Amino acid sequence: MENKAMLQFDQPSFFKRLKGMLGVDFYRLFHTPLLYIFLFIAALIPALVSMGAMGGEEGAETAGMFSNAWQIIAASKPMYIISDMGDYANMNMVYIFGGIMISIFIGHDYKSGYVKQLFTTHAKKQDYMISKTMLGAFSMVCMCVTYMIGGMIAGAATGLPFKINAGSLICAILGKFIMSLGWASLYTFINVIFRSKFGISIALCFVLGTGIPIIGAAAVIGNTPALNIFLYGSSVYACLTSNALTLVICLMNSVVWAVIYNVLGTLILNKRDCY
Amino acid sequence: MNAIEIRNLTKNFGQKQALAGLNMTVPQGAIYGFIGENGSGKSTTEKIICGLILPSGGEVKLFGRDYKDQDVRAKVGVLIEQPGCFPNYSVWNNMMLQAANLGIENAAEEVRKVLKVVHMEGSASNKYKNCSLGMKQRIGIAFALLGNPTLLILDEPINGLDADGMRIMREVLTDVTKNYNCTVVISSHILGELEKIATHYGIVRGGKMIAEMTAEELNANCPTYVALKVKDIAVAKEALKQKYSRVEVDEEEYIRIYDAESAEEVVDYLYKQLGIAVAEIKTSKIGLEEYYIDLMKEGK
Repeated sequence: MENKAMLQFDQPSFFKRLKGMLGVDFYRLFHTPLLYIFLFIAALIPALVSMGAMGGEEGAETAGMFSNAWQIIAASKPMYIISDMGDYANMNMVYIFGGIMISIFIGHDYKSGYVKQLFTTHAKKQDYMISKTMLGAFSMVCMCVTYMIGGMIAGAATGLPFKINAGSLICAILGKFIMSLGWASLYTFINVIFRSKFGISIALCFVLGTGIPIIGAAAVIGNTPALNIFLYGSSVYACLTSNALTLVICLMNSVVWAVIYNVLGTLILNKRDCY
Repeated sequence: MNAIEIRNLTKNFGQKQALAGLNMTVPQGAIYGFIGENGSGKSTTEKIICGLILPSGGEVKLFGRDYKDQDVRAKVGVLIEQPGCFPNYSVWNNMMLQAANLGIENAAEEVRKVLKVVHMEGSASNKYKNCSLGMKQRIGIAFALLGNPTLLILDEPINGLDADGMRIMREVLTDVTKNYNCTVVISSHILGELEKIATHYGIVRGGKMIAEMTAEELNANCPTYVALKVKDIAVAKEALKQKYSRVEVDEEEYIRIYDAESAEEVVDYLYKQLGIAVAEIKTSKIGLEEYYIDLMKEGK
């Protein structure tokens, strides 16, 4: 500590604050088993999905639901409404695990008292939202990658054909990467609302991640593209017939989600007791 | 300039009013002993100053600025309850993470320095979860000292410390105020310990500040008394009550006379006039603890 005759107050810049917070979050991410467990699960899921798809009994819902190995990663067409398990059982499942992981991570922030320690310093609430969103998005992109590797191995093992338009496949995968940001912001927002009520946060993230509320809403108000594109997300939109426009929609969608949920989350943190 | 100025601070938790117009002034460079019963509003006030909870009304200023200003917040070190550490990380890693959050350059050097201040440099590699309560309190102080704070808010920092730990804490707090121009607000129920370091006091009850004073003012407010031991306490007490207006028997069975001129005067009266032998006699002064208890009794 330095001796100070005169008090001086320097305002830390946004980038300096965010750099510090991201550094801590990513250190924790890489130094706890949580990420690695979820990466393993993400890699394992395609194998389980393809086993169910190829090994199911004749007439079972899952039997024969894939005709191409890449359908393990993305649906064959931009399905607005889930019509069978094949449309559902793809890389979108990563977002369910991402929600659970973010809930555990933020839950630990509150349980350990880290949030208390953080918000007594110069840290701004918006920095917290941004840091957690970026961390969640990064984790889900990593999960997408291990899911993709697991999916390719599972596809090869089941003997499904890999024939596909490479450009569409890349657009579909990138679309799902991009939507990780939107989903991460939604999960961060939910966890900020429920704070230390870990059980509610994790259950809600799981339910939203499955898309059940949107499927239910679509069943009531009908199959409108606007509902599906905006609410359910372009993760469903990013399919094996994707193109550059799909990517643009994914990007717009993801950024709009991220901005809305980050602003709302910051407002909530600013208006409520933190601890 | 005052380090903390609070005016008409209120805080409601639903129907319950935790703070009812609290005023508080902490001069710069003070060690401010913040005293009150459980539930009187000490921790709520400290949490508001730290930015953890929002006030329902009133004004809080730190060094003349709004308490929410980020530049002021960067200079506030805090220990509220236990430090927010990750149990599976070492003390060193926890400290480095906090240093990163504070954006401290030369973090390793700074962490080493504050761990040395709290005599924890030899335990840096210990996992936080394996540290004793006293060690955790010292880690909490080290956390608070990171980043050259100009204001330290410490909630019950000496709880769970052994005699040596308390001595270290005294040294640390005296050092940071004298040598580093730091102001300290410290709440504690261990008043005897607080009395050794505090330069100012604030006594809170029912969400309001009922007394604020300097250590000198407290000293002036604390009456001196003559304490004596006799064989028959009841008889001596009755006899003393004939001459003096305030006569009490304390827990150690000393009879205390608060308005006597001197010990000799009391001995003269008891022995020479009434024939009551005095076994032991001393002149003493009530301390912070007794002053506080008296103040609480008056309020009730």
